[in-house]
Amino acid sequence: MKPYSIALLTASLLAAQALDPKLLLQPPTDAWPTYNGDYSGKRFSPLNQIHSTNIDSLTLAWMYRISNVGPQRGVGNPEIKSTPLMVNGILYFTIPDHVWALDARTGEEIWHYGWEDHGGHLVGQRGLGMYGDWLYFMTPDCWFLSLNAKNGKERWRQKIADEKMQYFCTMSPLVVKNHILVGVGGDAMDVPGFLESRDPESGELQWRWNTTPRKGEPGAETWPNPQAMEHGGGMTWMPGTYDPELNLIYWGTGNPNPVFAGQGRPGANLWTASIVALNPDTGKLVWYHQPSPHDTHDWDNVETCILFDGLYKGRQRKLLAQAARNGIFTLLDRTNGESLVTKGYVGVNWMKGIDAKGQPIPDPAKEPKVDGSLVNTPGAGGTNWPPPSFDPETRLFYVNGKQGYSVTYLTDDDPEPQGYGGSGGGGLNEPILEAIDYQTGNIAWKHVYPSGGFGNAFPGILTTAGKLLFTGDPVGNLIAYDPDNGKPLWHLHLNSMVSNGPSTFLLDGKQYLIVGAGDTLWAFKLAGK
Amino acid sequence: MYRSKRLVACLLAAAILPLLAQEDMPPAARGGRGPGGRGGTREFLGLGPAPDAAAAARGEKLYAPSCGFCHGDKARGASGPNLVRSEVVLHDEKGELIGPVVSQGRPDKGMPAFAQFTKDQLYDIAEFLHMQVELVANRGIYRRLNVVTGDAKAGEAYFNGAGGCNACHSPTGDLAHIGSRFQPDQLQTRFIWPGPSLYGGGRASPQKVTVTLPSGETVTGTLKRQDDFNISLYDAQGNYHSWPRDSVKVQIEDKLGAHRDLLAKYTDQDMHNLTAYLVTLK
Repeated sequence: MKPYSIALLTASLLAAQALDPKLLLQPPTDAWPTYNGDYSGKRFSPLNQIHSTNIDSLTLAWMYRISNVGPQRGVGNPEIKSTPLMVNGILYFTIPDHVWALDARTGEEIWHYGWEDHGGHLVGQRGLGMYGDWLYFMTPDCWFLSLNAKNGKERWRQKIADEKMQYFCTMSPLVVKNHILVGVGGDAMDVPGFLESRDPESGELQWRWNTTPRKGEPGAETWPNPQAMEHGGGMTWMPGTYDPELNLIYWGTGNPNPVFAGQGRPGANLWTASIVALNPDTGKLVWYHQPSPHDTHDWDNVETCILFDGLYKGRQRKLLAQAARNGIFTLLDRTNGESLVTKGYVGVNWMKGIDAKGQPIPDPAKEPKVDGSLVNTPGAGGTNWPPPSFDPETRLFYVNGKQGYSVTYLTDDDPEPQGYGGSGGGGLNEPILEAIDYQTGNIAWKHVYPSGGFGNAFPGILTTAGKLLFTGDPVGNLIAYDPDNGKPLWHLHLNSMVSNGPSTFLLDGKQYLIVGAGDTLWAFKLAGK
Repeated sequence: MYRSKRLVACLLAAAILPLLAQEDMPPAARGGRGPGGRGGTREFLGLGPAPDAAAAARGEKLYAPSCGFCHGDKARGASGPNLVRSEVVLHDEKGELIGPVVSQGRPDKGMPAFAQFTKDQLYDIAEFLHMQVELVANRGIYRRLNVVTGDAKAGEAYFNGAGGCNACHSPTGDLAHIGSRFQPDQLQTRFIWPGPSLYGGGRASPQKVTVTLPSGETVTGTLKRQDDFNISLYDAQGNYHSWPRDSVKVQIEDKLGAHRDLLAKYTDQDMHNLTAYLVTLK
């Protein structure tokens, strides 16, 4: 073979595997190119080949079980929490320290990348970002890697944060134009949170936005002193969403630190437990809204901020909706952060009202106490990171969550507490699937799963134009519900609970449904297709 | 029916493992075994080798007179910096980074040299600091403080009055000596919700279930599992049975209904008073 033909062959292979960045601006049909499928975070697919009228003929296409990893440090058996990317017929998915490329038609492994464990928390890995031929991956010890999508070879690595300071990284990097956005986790040692934009070719820093102010900066008035805000937490461990027209990225930030012991940080503690809109080119804050001011319950506010346009009080608006860990459903005008709805979708006795800006006012009587404080929300919150969905056809916001009660304790009563400084304990925890009317925050319907409970990892949600809502229950059923009323239409008992957000795409004219459950990735399509 | 379905939901929650961190709450006041305990949490957090408790105790005696004045009794900082959140301390394993800072000082930042300490003493001081980090970072060892703050007499009145606890329980019957059998915070956890919960503090007790078949025949036994689609049980002879959920009628005994109802009624004061009363049942 002559050299020029090798070059041509290489070029065509790369073209076959590369991600056309324009895909990122369109709703997914023949690809699932980002964590949420598209920038809006809706996790609604316009595909309707798999439909409520033919769901009974959904059948297994293939399954892939992780067999070459074994128990992971501190967490046990592998659990797939990532949403796989699907680009040009290849699926890319992750668990902590590991990346795989599979043939989306067969489940056959194309390559596997392994990272040696050198620390950090292996609690979860949400997946990859992709830009052209390159994949972006974060390790538990906060290395930011670029891999070649063709073969999984490492192109470069950049250190984002220090795992010895108890930072850890789980996020799927978000690609916006020529920015790769990466965030961090870490709440054991009172470190400050930040979000960074990195160069897609080199991984070099473009900008960094701190989630808590430094001395003299705006927001400092919501903290007692520089020491408190420089150790104030506010992690950025979930990928944000993006509005290309407004050129704004939307991020949810984590809880402040010390986590349960708020006595050393009186004030609202901006910009922790907030929804923020940033300019992706500069990292400048454009507006913020804080659903959990002065949080003292470990209620990260990182849950997906879903973007959609719709009617509100008779007027078409550009909207942002979130169901947060503290039990609050928030609807905002995403152009300016104007608050439209703030309402509990589960019990919220930790708040005593809503302020002029539409934000909850926390009740000091319900903060963690040495002798215990009873809240009507389960200890781990009303929901967590598992992806919610917004269906533009039913105009309902869907979330898997929990209802019940818990008692929170202050275990560090020092005037300058450190670390968690408390705990949530015991209580009633019932798993639920809720459909929320975004215009009012009212519950349109609720399904109480009759068995089991949700921990902090549980099934995410996918809705489709096939009039289907895919999710799972706590005991391992993958279920398709009627999104209008929550009636189960189809189910299959898997080997373990659905542990990621289901996704879908069209390949060779066939619609596939992809679901992660524990250590296994499952692919379904219609029989006869 | 709805009530019993909801009950089963929580009874079967016991299988959930205590997950950790980012997605999680700390596993409070658990022992050293298994996930979420002292060792399990340390391993999960990647905190490095566990501190040497004997050395830390020796180190405290050296730390207090020489270092505590500037860095605070618990090393959380005073006029000098916080050492629990210190990069040097968190990167140190057994004194290799801390030792030189102590013996040479940081003259540029106003810290004098403490050249008098031997290598072993520097190790002991380092272990004392690692123990302070452990107490803050390792939530697997957190202990609840005093939960007995209520009024026992008011708790007794609630037990026999507004709470209606005496309809099912007796301080001289099933609850006799309960104050000796459990730590006060465990008692509080158990009466607030005796069923299983996300982070321990209860367990699933066998639930009696009666299934009525389309023929009218009934089968009674111990519930194994119920979801939206199927129900299964063991009968008195130990035989396993299961049915599609929509083909049978199901009745599940609801022993915890009164506890559930009380959750919506308790004030924190009621809860603390009841705890104070139950603690007296020695």
